[in-house]
Amino acid sequence: MGDSKSSLLVLGLGNLLCADDGVGVRAVESIQRDYQTGEAVRVIDGGTLGLTLLSTFDGADDVVLVDAVAGVGPPGTLVRLAGDDVAPAVRNRLSCHQVGVADLLDSLRLLDSYPERLILWGVVPASFELDTSLSPAVADALPTLVERVLEEVRNLGYSLLSRRNAIRDAPIDPAAAPGSRPVRV
Amino acid sequence: MTRVVVDPVTRIEGHLRIEAEVDGGAVNNAWSSSTMFRGIEIILKGHDPRDAWAFTQRICGVCTTVHAITSIRAVENAIGAEPPPNARLLRNLIMASQMVQDHVVHFYHLHALDWVDIVSALSADPEATANLAQSISDWPLSSKTYFTGVQQRVAAFVERGQLGPFGNAYWGHSAYRLPPEANLMAVAHYLEALDWQREFIKIHAVLGGKNPHLQSFLVGGMATPVDPDKQASINMTSIATMRKLIRQAKAFVEKVYLPDLLAVASFYKEWAGYGAGVGNYLVYGEYPEANGADAPLYLPSGVIRNQDLSTVEALDETKITEYVTHSWFEYGDGDGEGLHPSRGETNPNYTGPDPPYERLNTDGKYSWLKSPRYDGKSMEVGPLARMLVAYASGVPRVQELVNFALGQLGVGPAALFSTLGRVAARGIETLVLAEKLEGWLDELADNMGSGDLRIHDNSKWDPASWPRDCTGAGFHEAPRGALGHWVHIVDGEIANYQCVVPSTWNAGPRDAMGQPGPYEAAIIGNPVADPEQPLEILRTVHSFDPCMACGVHVLDPQGNEVVKVRVQ
Repeated sequence: MGDSKSSLLVLGLGNLLCADDGVGVRAVESIQRDYQTGEAVRVIDGGTLGLTLLSTFDGADDVVLVDAVAGVGPPGTLVRLAGDDVAPAVRNRLSCHQVGVADLLDSLRLLDSYPERLILWGVVPASFELDTSLSPAVADALPTLVERVLEEVRNLGYSLLSRRNAIRDAPIDPAAAPGSRPVRV
Repeated sequence: MTRVVVDPVTRIEGHLRIEAEVDGGAVNNAWSSSTMFRGIEIILKGHDPRDAWAFTQRICGVCTTVHAITSIRAVENAIGAEPPPNARLLRNLIMASQMVQDHVVHFYHLHALDWVDIVSALSADPEATANLAQSISDWPLSSKTYFTGVQQRVAAFVERGQLGPFGNAYWGHSAYRLPPEANLMAVAHYLEALDWQREFIKIHAVLGGKNPHLQSFLVGGMATPVDPDKQASINMTSIATMRKLIRQAKAFVEKVYLPDLLAVASFYKEWAGYGAGVGNYLVYGEYPEANGADAPLYLPSGVIRNQDLSTVEALDETKITEYVTHSWFEYGDGDGEGLHPSRGETNPNYTGPDPPYERLNTDGKYSWLKSPRYDGKSMEVGPLARMLVAYASGVPRVQELVNFALGQLGVGPAALFSTLGRVAARGIETLVLAEKLEGWLDELADNMGSGDLRIHDNSKWDPASWPRDCTGAGFHEAPRGALGHWVHIVDGEIANYQCVVPSTWNAGPRDAMGQPGPYEAAIIGNPVADPEQPLEILRTVHSFDPCMACGVHVLDPQGNEVVKVRVQ
């Protein structure tokens, strides 16, 4: 479990211009807005960048992907997949992504950098049309998706501090804060 | 006659679709279609032009930086903002490092498997592979032990039963020519390139503050502070980190990528005779070496017509028009005339078949891409266009490297107009830029050293300082070619926005005059040994580095689909 040396990557995937395809990125944006992240838990908007994302996996022992996943229920249905079930799900799904997540996972395997624990949290999309907002069904599911991802982070043994608490409880010695970054000057 | 249709494939549904008629072992006609609508222009209307880059950077799934920079340039051009020298240098570093990374990924991870047979690599003799590798480069990783290890690693991967990235190729196809040892060497470098690119792209984290989507763009300059002594800035440590990454990149391109490219090319010289395409080349030019609108560009702009390297015409952007005669759009004044992008219209009008379908009505509208033309002609854009214009314009390093590559392969300049020429031009460009990066870094370091820390022109930030009604154009040479954005701003808001992207130039359909686009023209005449496995068509399509997933369909003389080919 996430001991002091472990590191978790929470990676939101999808295209913000293609309606529900961007739900993974929306979830990640919400977490970035409300929580303090650091080296132990990195929360990243991966967009549709394909192989360029390989560098974001550097040092990640555990990975939680957040994405739109087609075809397992009505729009807005949440989906959780783990381990070897993740790759086939992202290999076949419909999306306007380019070089896929499957290529990324294959590449990690080839480089012997496959994450120890890999989890996918997904939502069944209603629309991939050109639109910068989510469909109503998926927009309704977004807060629950975020909760599930946060729960997953905790279950994996990592902790995230809410920004509100982080600010109020800021330690007098900033370097001692867990997951802290140098203060911007 | 057999009609081959290459349609979108495995992971992606609905991007690039190629239909080809095959007769007597060769393609005699071809059509290129994008089956996915992208209407960023519609989304942008009414937005603050200073925010446009953040939307446009999501257009292309692969290169976020290119649309961000082009958008910023278009808006700066409209409102008259003048980024300071450091912003120019930071942008050059971002753009050129994107190019270097993207080209390497293209060669090894998106294109190599059209030429390299993985299965054959498994039967290579590691010792002979080591001898081969040592004969073409002094790259340190080339021992027998090393290649044995790579072979075992790939074998283990293949034994898992999931071929993954290797699953879409045509192993054992008669068109593969490399001996097993060359295949094993290329596979080893496929793996090294994966590792290298994930390290190198960290240069964007240094430059952009936040990987993988750079957040440091700003109309009027850049947002990341430059200060040798401050922590949250591009500082002395950042310069040192970038220098290390740039030197590693140069070494990799010089000692691995280019030698591999030439070694592979030497087995496929007949591909210098296929895939020429339209023979017209257009380059906006890139990498300003000074500030101001008329600054010299390291890779010059220009137009070459009919493969004539004796003349480089000056580019006149007013000669660009886009046709929708064969595109699923309609123009207010009719579809027979082209429109300049500054007056461009984006009115979707899908008249194609309901998917799934066997073939498109290629006599009518058949693509979501428009047909850009220059002075009424189809133009190829991209690395080959850039290297040809630079070569013909007398850029010394480009001339040296082009002549070196031609000499190594024992072919003349005519070989450049081909599928192989396109692949070689990309490799040459990668080295030219990998060599150039450190110079820009030095300039940046010198400015910092002399106390010039300016990164932004604030004078035009306030919309009140803009003309009430203004237009602008931004140009950039993206990895795949000439990219232009045109913006019309009224009362501080975007009234119209048009992007003409490289893949539209290259992959667009026929125009009102019936002239094919560059993909279409380049595929015609390609050999096809086996219509069920149209590897040869993919070689030519992939040589352009399509930013869309591509798929190919084979049809019989009655137009019934024989084979639908899935490709990555």
